Amino acid sequence: MNTFKNIISMFFVGALIILTVPSCDNSNEPEIPNWQLVWQDEFEGTAGELPDSLKWTYDIGTDWGNAQLEYDTDRPENVSLDGSGNLLITARKESYLGRSFTSARIKTQGLFEQTYGRFEARIKMPWGPGLWPAFWLLGSNVETVDWPECGEIDIMEYRGQQPNLIHGTIHGPGYSGGNGITKSFGFEKDRFDVDFHLFAAEWGKDYIRFYVDDILYQEIRPDDLTGQWVFDHPFYIILNLAVGGNYVGFPTSQTSFPQSMIVDYVRVYKGS
Amino acid sequence: MKKRNIIYSTLTIFTIMAAFLFTSCERDIEILEPATYPVIAEVFIDGFSSGLNYAAFGGSKVTAFDVDNDVKYSGTSSMRIDVPDYEDPQGAYAGGVYFTSTGRDLSGYDALTFWAKASQSASIDVVGIGNDLGLSANQATISGLAVNTNWKKYIIPIPDPSKFTAERGMFFYSEGPENNAGYTIWFDEVKFEKLGTIAHPDPAILNKQNQTTTGIIGQTLTIGGTYISFNMPDGVDQRIDVSPGYFTYFSSDEAVATVNGNGQIAVLGLGTAIITAKFGTLAAAGSITVNVEILPEKAPVPTIPATDVISLFSDVYTNVPVDTWATGWLYSTAILQDIQIEGDAVKLYTDLNFNGIEFSSQTIDASAMTRFHMDIWTPDPTTMPSAFKVLLVDFGANGVFDGGDDVSHELTFTANTNPGLKTEQWVQLDVPLSAFSGLTTKAHLAQLVISGDPNTVYVDNVYFYKTGGTTPSVPTAPAPAPTFPAGNVISLFSNSYSNVTVDTWSATWDQADVSDVQISGNNVKKYSNLVFAGIEFTTQTIDASTMTNFFMDIWTPDATALPATFKIKLVDFGADGAYGGGDDVEHELTFDANSTPALATGSWVRFDIPLTNFTALTTKSHLAQMIIVGDPNTVYVDNILFHK
Repeated sequence: MNTFKNIISMFFVGALIILTVPSCDNSNEPEIPNWQLVWQDEFEGTAGELPDSLKWTYDIGTDWGNAQLEYDTDRPENVSLDGSGNLLITARKESYLGRSFTSARIKTQGLFEQTYGRFEARIKMPWGPGLWPAFWLLGSNVETVDWPECGEIDIMEYRGQQPNLIHGTIHGPGYSGGNGITKSFGFEKDRFDVDFHLFAAEWGKDYIRFYVDDILYQEIRPDDLTGQWVFDHPFYIILNLAVGGNYVGFPTSQTSFPQSMIVDYVRVYKGS
Repeated sequence: MKKRNIIYSTLTIFTIMAAFLFTSCERDIEILEPATYPVIAEVFIDGFSSGLNYAAFGGSKVTAFDVDNDVKYSGTSSMRIDVPDYEDPQGAYAGGVYFTSTGRDLSGYDALTFWAKASQSASIDVVGIGNDLGLSANQATISGLAVNTNWKKYIIPIPDPSKFTAERGMFFYSEGPENNAGYTIWFDEVKFEKLGTIAHPDPAILNKQNQTTTGIIGQTLTIGGTYISFNMPDGVDQRIDVSPGYFTYFSSDEAVATVNGNGQIAVLGLGTAIITAKFGTLAAAGSITVNVEILPEKAPVPTIPATDVISLFSDVYTNVPVDTWATGWLYSTAILQDIQIEGDAVKLYTDLNFNGIEFSSQTIDASAMTRFHMDIWTPDPTTMPSAFKVLLVDFGANGVFDGGDDVSHELTFTANTNPGLKTEQWVQLDVPLSAFSGLTTKAHLAQLVISGDPNTVYVDNVYFYKTGGTTPSVPTAPAPAPTFPAGNVISLFSNSYSNVTVDTWSATWDQADVSDVQISGNNVKKYSNLVFAGIEFTTQTIDASTMTNFFMDIWTPDATALPATFKIKLVDFGADGAYGGGDDVEHELTFDANSTPALATGSWVRFDIPLTNFTALTTKSHLAQMIIVGDPNTVYVDNILFHK
């Protein structure tokens, strides 16, 4: 799927490299390991189906410590393949188990967990105030050491009221919640909800690098932290679309529903 | 492979560009380039940008706008709008257009942006772009723009920048008092920008409704409620009301209805057409289904000789000049369309409340005319109390309006009048001019005003005419001779048969005059001043019990159009053979222009009626009287007989 788009982006990446080579100081280029694809979901399948149960499981419930308004379910209304090679995580305005919205939060916990590597997803965002999609990693030891000691890598977070901005953040002991180490990447004249963009984190022993469309915009090393570097054990992947919550604020009457976070693929690489 | 193709095509583009550059050096000077317009983004930064003008809207307070050098968002000045108080004698609202005299190429931008604040929290009625004081085909507006006392940046998206290649309408606003109180708005840093952060156009026509309507052939319907919702850079949807021309329209059946680029639907034929629209490649929500079920037939063709007619509108006659068929008087909502039905020109009025038809520059002298005629057809209900009114106005001897001698009269037609209104049928409003009793002069007729409840009215064949002009007053030939064998006939009056004895052709108790005339040697009874005439054969009653038909020929020079009628009554005195006696029976039949046979003016009309049609005439052995009743006041009668 999307062969044509892929070729286009390859072409433009090529052009970018050509254009940026003369202006770059090669000595500061991060070392790029030779990434080997080890896990992927291209979300091929029939429209309306749930994603592959061998790869994904569900967080069912609400709030999640963020005052999120939606009830996350495992219903196809909230999470399903679109039949065109994408996963839709769909937020709806409906009364459900005491909540006014529904959505979904899927994860690879217990199914796929990895230490280090490149984690990437190609995503098209929803829009509208109060919508908060995220592509993130959570330390697999969350149930034994609790949060934030387990560590959290937010490869991509987005606020529907700022459709031209995304944010990359890590949370750990001493630098969590509002004090997470974060940086934003923005388009001056474009938005993240009109086309797919590739969001990636490359994580090694002593670095986490954040990319949008293979443009590096943030690198965090242990030296940058006031707290402990806890990114040395397996993490699992989470994709979710929150409605409301501390990070994004309330949806307004102007927020149109349903709204979907559209995921073309998730791929994980290991360095060799 | 694909990758290579793309590179090739890119190379091709470069090659084409290079070729253009090269050839442009050698181009002949006669080759004109398409006109290009300057690319100027600024509208008002600290003053009027190049070529910018301001015009206040009609009825607005023209001094509402001024440049303010004290209050500004940045730079040295802003645009200040002083919204007037309620009932400000200088104007009820503030509003105007900032436009350029020559267009600007704004196709590289996607929005007009500006900063605004106000002396109080308020909702500005309208701000917009694309108002060029002309057709404003590119108009795009935000209604109800909320402002408060803090400077804030506002964005009006350009719905389709490709249309803004020669745009003159830079910015416009309109705002009335808030709670009857005036206040002040400031606009600053008004400019076009390429934001790139306006997304998800969501187009709609008819305010997203799927409407159904009954279309009338010849009618034009206009699509409204055209808007595009854009998701703004803050993630909020903003409705932008746009001109209908931003959309392309589609008809599911162009034989039923077509729709032009401005959303005007032309109803053409019977059937159903669904009209939809697209904004670029995006389907617009909303549609209108036009069901066209009814079509008037062609109106009856007038038969009055042209020399007897002064026609205002008819394909049959040469029409006199009419200044206008829709005066557009204040409060008149009527919309006039000239349409064709089977090649016949017809005036179609829709949304009719009242409508003036004026011929005052060349008034009509109808003093020699006796009747007014107008054919109307309506699809609307015509049951009571629906009414259609016809007003004729004569400007009097001075020939000018309101010169002190104007006279007029209005006739009201309903389902109960004669002629009466009918739905989905041509109605011939054919009335004597004498019925317009207030119209005491007819030499300077200047206006015809139609009004009524039927809101959709087709009008055809509007004319004045006179009767008895070239129509012969006397039959030019006798009625064709009957051909029944004499043995099958009991004849009262005919040159073809022996006639039974008739006591009188005009009884003393009737209202009619009778005389014997000859038409080409053929005897004919002429009735004049006919109201009703009694023909009696009581002395020797007629036994028609073996006969099957009553037969009679009549000829009249008089008008026979509806409501004219002619009636024939037969009376049988019963077994006792005497008037009264308790066993008399009778039956009357009525004929008009629509009956069989139909009355006609100036030609012989032959009645050959089964006696069974006289249903109440239960005995026929002692027929003794026949009574004829007529609107035609002059009737020639021949060949009165019974036959089998």
